[in-house]
Amino acid sequence: MISCKSAVRIVLATAMLAAYPNLAKAQMSHQHASEAACEETVLRCASKVTPAFAPDGTLWLAWMAGGQISVASSMDQGKSFSAPVQVTRDRLNLDWGPDARPKLAIDAKGDIALAFSIFRDQAFNGQVLTTRSTDGGHSFDPPKPITANNESQRFEAIGFDPTGAVFAVWLDKRNRAPAQQRGEKYDGAGLFFASSKDGGATYSDARMAADNTCECCRLALAFDGSGHPVVVFRNIFDGGVRDHAIVTFTDLATSGEVHRVSRDDWQIAACPHHGPSLTISPAGTYHVTWYTNGKARKGLFYARSRDGGKTFSDPLPIGQLNHSPSRPQVIAGPQGLAMAWKEFDGQKTSINLMTSHDDGATWSKPAVIADTTDSSDHPLLVTDRRQTYLSWMTKADGYHFQAIEGEP
Amino acid sequence: MKRHLLAALMLLATLPSALAAGEGAPKPFERGSWQKLLHAHAGHPTLVHFWGVTCGPCKVELPQLGGFMKDHPGIDVVTISADLVPNLPEATRSMLNSAGLASAENWIFGDGFAERLRFEIDPAWQGDIPRTMLIARDGTITTIEGSAEIADLNKWSDTQAAATR
Repeated sequence: MISCKSAVRIVLATAMLAAYPNLAKAQMSHQHASEAACEETVLRCASKVTPAFAPDGTLWLAWMAGGQISVASSMDQGKSFSAPVQVTRDRLNLDWGPDARPKLAIDAKGDIALAFSIFRDQAFNGQVLTTRSTDGGHSFDPPKPITANNESQRFEAIGFDPTGAVFAVWLDKRNRAPAQQRGEKYDGAGLFFASSKDGGATYSDARMAADNTCECCRLALAFDGSGHPVVVFRNIFDGGVRDHAIVTFTDLATSGEVHRVSRDDWQIAACPHHGPSLTISPAGTYHVTWYTNGKARKGLFYARSRDGGKTFSDPLPIGQLNHSPSRPQVIAGPQGLAMAWKEFDGQKTSINLMTSHDDGATWSKPAVIADTTDSSDHPLLVTDRRQTYLSWMTKADGYHFQAIEGEP
Repeated sequence: MKRHLLAALMLLATLPSALAAGEGAPKPFERGSWQKLLHAHAGHPTLVHFWGVTCGPCKVELPQLGGFMKDHPGIDVVTISADLVPNLPEATRSMLNSAGLASAENWIFGDGFAERLRFEIDPAWQGDIPRTMLIARDGTITTIEGSAEIADLNKWSDTQAAATR
């Protein structure tokens, strides 16, 4: 039986559809236009999902869905998840740039540090916000800015060092206005950093590691064997060349010398929206993957450094150039190195995997380990020290978390 | 029931203005749009500019392109906002307006599967913006990665004008 109320709704809906035939189409195409499958805050509706293992083996996810950041945890390697906890409350304009995503790190006590960016104004100036949970992810502090400075900040990366301090690094435009006031041209953004001794409740004053770096690519952060932060970023070298650079910090408050990862010679005044990936193996080798469209080489590449980032091996091309290889990730896991990236054949996006068991000297043939026929997040790799996993959010097929087998 | 009726009537009342706001907004660029666009401009020298509201270098270039369009009425100027999440037609339109590009043929990515849209345009394009494609009268395409130099655009435009004589 149709109640009076429902009947009225049906009649009105019919009248609206008759009067505005484009309405239903507009709503459908809105969904079609979105990167996300739905608009609620649940994991299924996420456009970006970031995984991180806690030292105790719990898997945590932070995701962006329905305009909010949420987290959930899994005790069984992603087979089932706890009830989600919403980290943000206000309706924020979350940074939806192709290389933006929420970041999280978990310390030995199970406390969680979390960071993300928002667009603060109509001109798309960014702001990095941080929060923490000290009750095992049941609740989070209200997010607050990582720095008191009010210029644009984006593309944060965070991690716990071995002493339990949070190290944070991000791109910051605070030097732009002073340079322009002096009548000087200012390119890109500064690479700024800070640290927190209280699990992310408060951060030290921001310091700069490098100025005039590319302003629109994600940063790659890892810790070396001594616990020093190492950051790979797309720099702007002389002549507007946006090639990659690396810096190893002396300690949490002191930046080190900046070295060049490779000479791709990509001179471009544009936003590549395509940042690098870094992992450091137990042997102390730095492994870097990146995208370039330079004069010297085009596509995805891998190189390693066995002298703390001072010099790198010849870049190794990754993937099939005629299949738009993109979004490379590399990780050192218990069974060796794994590298994953996207390819697209005109219809389907596939995730390709290569592994190395000799610290990056040789790599297996690529194998396709997942695919989808609609939009998808970057493929991310994560390890719990027993196994390496692929974490991949897709619009059509939902969230994948799958163990990477040994040699493909 | 009264409340529902009221809410529905209010929704009805606001709809025409909400729909009208869509007029003059950039057209959704979807699967197949690229081939339609090429077809529609076949035989006309056409400048296609890819940009996005969050891209710093684009903000600098867009007004220069507005000036170029004014100075070169013989060139079809097309803009395509290629940011990944395309749900910002208002910000897009407002930036186009202030850049003097309101009367250009303006599009906005209207499919969340941006990889597929980009693949249709150029399989080698990974999404870096700005990017400009100059399509000559004979269909020859010249791609400029990053910000274009207006002098180069002028030079190309001159060759197109010469080709008609």
